[in-house]
Amino acid sequence: MLERYRLSVDRSDGFLVWIEIVDDGDGKRISDCSKEILGKVMSMNDGSRVWGVVFGFTELKPLYGEIFSYGVETLYEVHGKEMSVYRPEVYASALAQIIIRTEPAVVLMGATPRGRELAPRTAAILDAGLTADCTDLKMSDRILSMVRPAFGGNLLATIQCTAFPQMATVRPGVFPMPEPEGDGKGTVIYWQEDICNPKDILSSERLDTAADDISSAKILVSLGAGVKRSSIAVAESVARKLGGSVSCSRRLVEKGWMPQSRQVGQSGKNVAPDVYLAFGISGSVQHLAGISSAKRIISINTDPNARIGEVADEIVIGDADSILEELDRIL
Amino acid sequence: MRFVVAVKQVPDTTLIKVDADGNLIRGGVPSILDPYSEHAMEAAVHLKGDGDTITAVTMGPEQASSALLRCLEIGVDEAFLLSDMDFAGADVHATCRTLKAFLDRFVPDASLIILGKQASDGDTGQVPAELAGMMDRQQFCYSVKITREGSSFIVTQDYGDEIRTSAAPEGSVISVSECDANRRLPSIRRFIDVSSVRIKKLGREDLMLGTFSCGARGSRTKIIGTDTVRSERSGRVTDGSDPAAAANFIRGLL
Repeated sequence: MLERYRLSVDRSDGFLVWIEIVDDGDGKRISDCSKEILGKVMSMNDGSRVWGVVFGFTELKPLYGEIFSYGVETLYEVHGKEMSVYRPEVYASALAQIIIRTEPAVVLMGATPRGRELAPRTAAILDAGLTADCTDLKMSDRILSMVRPAFGGNLLATIQCTAFPQMATVRPGVFPMPEPEGDGKGTVIYWQEDICNPKDILSSERLDTAADDISSAKILVSLGAGVKRSSIAVAESVARKLGGSVSCSRRLVEKGWMPQSRQVGQSGKNVAPDVYLAFGISGSVQHLAGISSAKRIISINTDPNARIGEVADEIVIGDADSILEELDRIL
Repeated sequence: MRFVVAVKQVPDTTLIKVDADGNLIRGGVPSILDPYSEHAMEAAVHLKGDGDTITAVTMGPEQASSALLRCLEIGVDEAFLLSDMDFAGADVHATCRTLKAFLDRFVPDASLIILGKQASDGDTGQVPAELAGMMDRQQFCYSVKITREGSSFIVTQDYGDEIRTSAAPEGSVISVSECDANRRLPSIRRFIDVSSVRIKKLGREDLMLGTFSCGARGSRTKIIGTDTVRSERSGRVTDGSDPAAAANFIRGLL
């Protein structure tokens, strides 16, 4: 019976994390979400082993010290020139083999676009259970409880896997960024993976998203249907002064005022800022789902009954446009 | 060529109301074809040439056939409803097993398997990649453009920080993103006389699945509890009729 699960129930223990490497123009670095996951693993790990898996070539060497400082003991590097290029088929196949070799109890990846594509494929090879986009994790005697919002953020479901490995993707921004610890030393194992029949990538264009990435912003000035078009420039000025970014509701994307990359909500992005300033946003179920991980929500709206009031910490009843302008003046 | 579109029926979330305790009031909310499934349908209709067929499939209870009727209106040639008491409670793993069993048995020659990027109710977005993994096919998630190139396809994917164009061989699994929020949903291309259409209904035994391969028993995850989100937020209301005072107040909060 246990054959089916590929991993031994008696032996499976520890954590394996896929460490996503991003290249934002200044060279390769570890993605923020992977660091947050490693930090969470450090805080809930009770003496079990921690493996990391990275894909790439010699350009990864400068990152080893940092990876080990976040609690990784053994790092599997799937090594090869071709491995720097993300291909879900090859990545999943290598990950599955490393998981069968190491027998971790838990496998974690970031719920980034690539993580959410890679994790299900890996789970399919392993016949494993997988929970997407978790906002909290709890560990008790090798059993992982995964918490994720369901039904538009109105419910929090706690989910467990029925077999090893227990797999989850973790929403970016929900766990704090860890501080480096220890001497930054550990074991690196080079893993060779044959690429047979690789995906035929014809062209790849990197988009400069650093300035635009609302999912990692600490302060968001967010605009909804209740603001005038001229307020967008004001909001950008306010965001600049606060060191944050401007985001919006679906309505403004539909009007063509803002690009979709700035849209918060179920069909846009999930965000987790420290402060979410919602100007003229009424708060559809889909929008509220996207801000459920925000630490503080301040709503500015003329409508005292706007649904965003159900989740906001502070509700200011007033004209969003003029308050935004005033805020720009005094900052 | 033969295109398969796997679709989902969802409650119309724009009409969902929340009661005083924050629970969803699901009763009386009509079901619709999921918006992402509509985009997947549209992509298939767009690719269809002379002599090609489009097959729509969905898994769900009897009333999910309304989603398939919508697909028939948009332009599919045949529709399958995978419906069985034993399919209830399926997680992603069990859903993909069931879909794979259907595809292997009824459409083994599919040129492309097209799905929506995610569903607007569950929002896990895992089915396309897990299905591709189980079937050992190449996967192309978050696709914004698909064109035909002889017997294969050219697919453009949007990863958020990268726009990637690849050649997709026949048999690939593709998930479709919503590329333009302003794009209209596909219109009715033909009016269906409902009485003339037969949606083929398939159960567990038709797919040759064991009871432990589908539904709740075939699932690899289980929900052990749900909590209503009780906000511990202060929800303090402040009068903002004077913009200057309100701006000062907000600055004080930051």
